[in-house]
Amino acid sequence: MITNLKFMALEKFTYDNKLAKNFAVATILWGVVGFLVGLIAALAILWPEVSMKLPFLTFGRLRPLHTNAAIFAFVGNSIFTGIYYSMPRLLKTPMFSQKLGKIHFWGWQLIIVLAAVTLMAGITTGKEYAELEWPIDILIAGIWVVFGWNMIATIIKRRVQHIYVAIWFYLATFVTVAVLHIVNSFELPISLFKSYSLYSGVQDALVQWWYGHNAVAFFLTTPVLGLMYYFLPKAANRPIYSYKLSIIHFWALIFLYIWAGPHHLLYSSIPDWTQALGVVFSVVLIAPSWGGMINGLLTLRGAWDKVRQDPVLKMFVVGVTSYGMSTFEGPLLSLKSVNAISHFTDWTIAHVHIGTLGWNGMMAFGMLYWLFPRFYKVKLYSTSLANTHFWLATLGMLFFAIPLYFAGFTQALMWKQFTPEGFLKYTNFLETYTQIRPMHMLRAVGGVMYLTGAGIMVYNLIKTAGAGKFVRFENDEAPAREVKPHGNETWHRRLERKPVLFTIWALVAILIGGIVEFVPMFLVKSNVPTISSVQPYTPLELEGRDIYIREGCYNCHSQMIRPFRSEVERYGEYSKSGEFIYDHPFQWGSRRTGPDLARIGVKTTKNYKPDSWHYEHLVNPQKTNIQSIMPPYPWLVENDMDIESIPKKIRAMQTLGVPYPKGYDEKAIDDLKKQAHEIASGLRASGIEVEDQKKIIALIAYMQRLGTDISKNAGSASK
Amino acid sequence: MSINEEKTNINQNDHEIDTLTNDRLIKDHSYDGIRELDNDLPPWWKWLFYITIIFAIIYMLGLWVFDWDSLYQEKEYNKEVAEAVKTAPKQQVQVELKVLTDASSLENGKATYDKICQVCHLLDGGGLVGPNFTDDYWIHGNSLEKMFAVVENGVIEKGMIPYKDQLPPTQRLEVISYIITLRGTIPASPKAPQGELLDWPY
Ligand code: HEC
Ligand code: HEM
Repeated sequence: MITNLKFMALEKFTYDNKLAKNFAVATILWGVVGFLVGLIAALAILWPEVSMKLPFLTFGRLRPLHTNAAIFAFVGNSIFTGIYYSMPRLLKTPMFSQKLGKIHFWGWQLIIVLAAVTLMAGITTGKEYAELEWPIDILIAGIWVVFGWNMIATIIKRRVQHIYVAIWFYLATFVTVAVLHIVNSFELPISLFKSYSLYSGVQDALVQWWYGHNAVAFFLTTPVLGLMYYFLPKAANRPIYSYKLSIIHFWALIFLYIWAGPHHLLYSSIPDWTQALGVVFSVVLIAPSWGGMINGLLTLRGAWDKVRQDPVLKMFVVGVTSYGMSTFEGPLLSLKSVNAISHFTDWTIAHVHIGTLGWNGMMAFGMLYWLFPRFYKVKLYSTSLANTHFWLATLGMLFFAIPLYFAGFTQALMWKQFTPEGFLKYTNFLETYTQIRPMHMLRAVGGVMYLTGAGIMVYNLIKTAGAGKFVRFENDEAPAREVKPHGNETWHRRLERKPVLFTIWALVAILIGGIVEFVPMFLVKSNVPTISSVQPYTPLELEGRDIYIREGCYNCHSQMIRPFRSEVERYGEYSKSGEFIYDHPFQWGSRRTGPDLARIGVKTTKNYKPDSWHYEHLVNPQKTNIQSIMPPYPWLVENDMDIESIPKKIRAMQTLGVPYPKGYDEKAIDDLKKQAHEIASGLRASGIEVEDQKKIIALIAYMQRLGTDISKNAGSASK
Repeated sequence: MSINEEKTNINQNDHEIDTLTNDRLIKDHSYDGIRELDNDLPPWWKWLFYITIIFAIIYMLGLWVFDWDSLYQEKEYNKEVAEAVKTAPKQQVQVELKVLTDASSLENGKATYDKICQVCHLLDGGGLVGPNFTDDYWIHGNSLEKMFAVVENGVIEKGMIPYKDQLPPTQRLEVISYIITLRGTIPASPKAPQGELLDWPY
């Protein structure tokens, strides 16, 4: 097409495919691991015996392991594969530094291994999708900078004049993820393996979901859109549908996304105005998101006959369509009336898996099927196996999601249903779970299908690699970039010549939303009205809370009673923002696989239980109800709590602003022992053999404290 | 990148055309062989964008200027509760205190017991946190009135919850009638007797 190339002096250079290939192999490996852990988690909800009384196989630890593996290991490596392959070609230059690339690769794999080990060991910050403890957080920040440095340096030494839309998305990803990760990870370490979030309660929730939502936006969405803009037109050999649309949807997307975090906190204790911002910015996001989808799908105009034959394009089509579906559903879920039903149910899980299994998975698979024959200069080993994978993945996703939609809706309605006499129809929480259990079985079948498809891909790609020989270096040539006058280019075209300025503008765009939402929350007192009866946790309760976090209880139990008649009836007075001011971190949760625990300690609520019941239940939940799906925690009776760290923990809390009296750190251990002795004596009186210093005592103390502060006359049971 | 030396602006007369769609290609846009078309934003897409923006503005005005109740959760909650009090108040209909023996009542009683009471008294009534129902020892007495009172008001200090707000009186009577049938059965691991040995009045 470009005929006058030959008149210009061409420079020769070489692309090194090694990094992209390594990342591709890591993508495949961690993909299979991530799906497998997901499947084990799905089975562990169905049959608690799957956990085999092993702490690291309980659902509370499997779920963070699965989400971290799927997001940061599988999708993360797939993004880096695509970036290291496409960027040099789009910029007509090798990567700036092969060595930085290597550090990035091995650093990222190290992070993944450390994440897996620590999460299984119960070392966690207790913040969803940001569970990794502070040393790993620092490592992530460092490796991320290495990645960004290499990327920006490569862009600067490019031979092309303008940067392409894929590169815009890569840049926005880099800056935004850096900002999100750093701001959300501010924590006060008390040891190598334990830290407390700098923020508490409502503020912690807001920062966390600003992060959580934008992890979806800037880790699972923008980089993958960048990949789409390279691999889809390449695979289809078609021009991008509309450059104008690229510009508008890019800027709109990154500017608007940042604001939408509070849609994860609708009807929670955050102020109404923050919730409203979350709602409206989510709704306005439909068009910018669909801009990406239509720019992808309409690029295929004129190539639909090819789509029918090529598994790569088929996967891209399902991927991009899933993207369109989840970005339509997301704004819908952000409407308060819909969220009142969907939140805390499987509806959310169904939603995220259309995004992850459909969009992220399919885009990654399509890319891998496109790349491997090019890495090895052979044809794909088997197109029909790739087609089989395509169908297994597509149907697996539907088998996964459709039952969960049904389950979410069913359970929400059961939670809300009253009898004509004004009583809750389903008083027992477990009833509402037993009802949707068959749906969870179907979900697991969907998971098996998806995993099988991935297995077939592994075989196909190994066969492909075996049939060829890895082509590490590829030569290319292009004229040097000379700074030419921009003539009468549009303002955006000019900006595309200035990648650093471009990055700065992107940074400005993504900072605005966060600042507008955070500053008032942190500075204006009326946003978190104080409640005078709310007191800091006792040392024993604090220890119990740490055990709650460590075991990952928040993965199944919420601590947020929404202001609905049905929830107040079931769980007690709805939660107030002032109740959480000493919660570093907050533990509101996102899915009620088990009942809410915000007021489990309040004696006037319907789910209050005595100490001895908590003991029996934690040791063996199936004893108190054969249908319970909660895993047993027998090690809580065997292991001692960490009494030595208590003074350090108290001092850390004081640093964070929790008003323990001066010098309390020295008295804390005595207080802890006294309270523990009281509880343990009570248990022994009812015939339970237990020692004062066992972990279970602390956890029971925490349970009995929950929610009691604002109902003082009801008191807490341990007093 | 611009490889065309003469001009960077697009000349209406010598633009390239994508042969499959007849759309215009943008002249100097080519990245590793990827070209871009000069298509406008689809009008329906623009309208979608505008409409959502208008929705957003109205919504925020509703919050900040018009004070719509439905955007303030506390007001919304108070309204919901007020409505419930009006249309479906909790009814504590009086029941005649009489042991029920018909199969359907006992079945209902068992259903309630298996869902709610068994978590403390165990499925077979053998007792765990709560006392054993199969023996003749009772803490609060075994007359129907006394049992009914315990279930209604609970013994919260000991961990027995009041069911006044959770179960309507008929359902309470049913579940007590079911408990009465458990006496004399043999549970798997009976809890040691609690309370006093009493004559069985039924
Ligand atoms: C959270 C645990 C728990 C649950 C759930 C529970 N109970 Fe109890 N129940 C107890 C305890 C503990 C006692 C003993 C109270 C005492 O020592 O005074 C008790 C005592 C009783 C007694 C009096 C026994 C006696 O010896 O005088 C009756 C009757 C009773 N429960 C019925 C029920 C019924 C009916 C239900 C279900 C609707 C139920 N309980 C649910 C814990 C529970
Ligand atoms: C074999 C395939 C998979 C299975 C069986 C599976 C299973 C699960 C299960 C059981 C949960 C927890 C659900 C709950 O809380 O009730 C979950 C959550 C999640 N999964 Fe997967 N998963 C699979 C693939 C993936 C993939 C490919 C991704 C991303 C690329 C992914 C991303 C997530 C996310 C983000 C959540 C968190 C949802 C939330 O916060 O509520 N999953 N998955």
